[in-house]
Amino acid sequence: MKYTTFNQQTTNPLAEPMFFGNPVNVARYDQQKHEIFEKLIEKQISFFWRPEEVDVSKDRMDFQKLSDSEKHIFISNLKYQTLLDSVQGRSPNIAFLPIVSLPELETWIETWSFFETIHSRSYTHILRNLYTEPGEIFEDIVVNEEIKKRAGDISKYYDDLIFYTQLWQTQGEGKHSVDGIEYNVTMRELKKRLYLCMNSVNALEAIRFYVSFACTFAFAERELMEGNSKIIRLIARDENVHLTSTQHILNLWQKGKDDPEMAEIAEECHEEAKQIFLGAVEQEKQWARYLFQHGSMIGLNEDILCQYVEFIANQRMSVIGMGKPFDISSNPLPWMNNYLNSDNYQVAPQEAEISSYLVGQIDSEVNAGDFGDFDL
Amino acid sequence: MSSDNQRFVIQVIDHKTFEATQEKTLLEHAEAHGVEIHYHCREGFCGACRTKLISGKVEYTVDPLAFIDDDEILPCCCKAKSDLILQIE
Repeated sequence: MKYTTFNQQTTNPLAEPMFFGNPVNVARYDQQKHEIFEKLIEKQISFFWRPEEVDVSKDRMDFQKLSDSEKHIFISNLKYQTLLDSVQGRSPNIAFLPIVSLPELETWIETWSFFETIHSRSYTHILRNLYTEPGEIFEDIVVNEEIKKRAGDISKYYDDLIFYTQLWQTQGEGKHSVDGIEYNVTMRELKKRLYLCMNSVNALEAIRFYVSFACTFAFAERELMEGNSKIIRLIARDENVHLTSTQHILNLWQKGKDDPEMAEIAEECHEEAKQIFLGAVEQEKQWARYLFQHGSMIGLNEDILCQYVEFIANQRMSVIGMGKPFDISSNPLPWMNNYLNSDNYQVAPQEAEISSYLVGQIDSEVNAGDFGDFDL
Repeated sequence: MSSDNQRFVIQVIDHKTFEATQEKTLLEHAEAHGVEIHYHCREGFCGACRTKLISGKVEYTVDPLAFIDDDEILPCCCKAKSDLILQIE
């Protein structure tokens, strides 16, 4: 089916599935099939922030004091996060917007992806402050073998879905040959690719950031690189909102609350989806090994980081019906929670500002009584 | 309606039993009694504190956005409305 930017057929968005129904026409939010996405849009927008608001100037001095192995840990994590947000800043838009059928979900995807671009911009903000010439760091992201390994796994499910969608939207269902390779495009195959892609994105949002977050907050526990830590806290908060959205999508499918065919596919592909998640867990552990290859940092080592990844994975796999495959029940890094709460109140002495944007600051109803204790 | 100083008995299976008032969230009460419940956002959108509600009623202080099953609650943003039996893992 050819994509149209404004579908002129009258559709009932309350009866459409999340994906692969009719293209969205009117961007309306007065009614929602799945109101959770409207609520997530509001939540995410209330969290708006700009990297430049966070003062990172003190970090430059801290950075000079770090040992070489600590510098390796810090910079490698920034590179990895830059990769993740480069992908996430564009891919949900390119992969999901051409096939989405609900206005609230369409806008959620755009909002989600936009926030990832803020994260990308914040890495430039951090690096510009640390290096006079940060170019070299960015250039290494495409050639660094460790990062490339992860980039391949992260982008392949997106690329596959995007390619199949392109074939379907230009040539319809059927067997199509491109560069000598034959592709069998059916709605079932498209939906399967969507399901696997959503699982891969869910795993990304669920655990791929956490080794890096743990290192950042471990520096902050030592009162080092605090500007950076403040930015990463804001990013972690956003990522939790994004994760909630993919968890809802997967559960809506699995529980048969959206497209019934997706419920069948969820069952059929359960094991494959689980392997995607476990693969991401394994890669995160390897990442921890790579980070600490020249030496650990105070408060963290490879073992404890791997345990933390397993702890987080247990929680996040059980939400989407994948059980708790790892034998760990208590949090090996309890202090992490102090950095992952939503920042509405001060938890550490070095953190002074509330960074949530205020909503509804002006009260439109003022009564005479409100001036009762007001003297001129 | 219940008054603000009502107290309910919260039983956490295999952990502790404690009393909860309406002044604090269930998570805050659990923490005050040394019952460890995992959390991140403390605002209902991340789901880290997901807990099984075996019996009883709760009332949310903010709209819980995180995905929870029908038999689960988010203690970070709710208060007890009756005696509760909870299960944490």
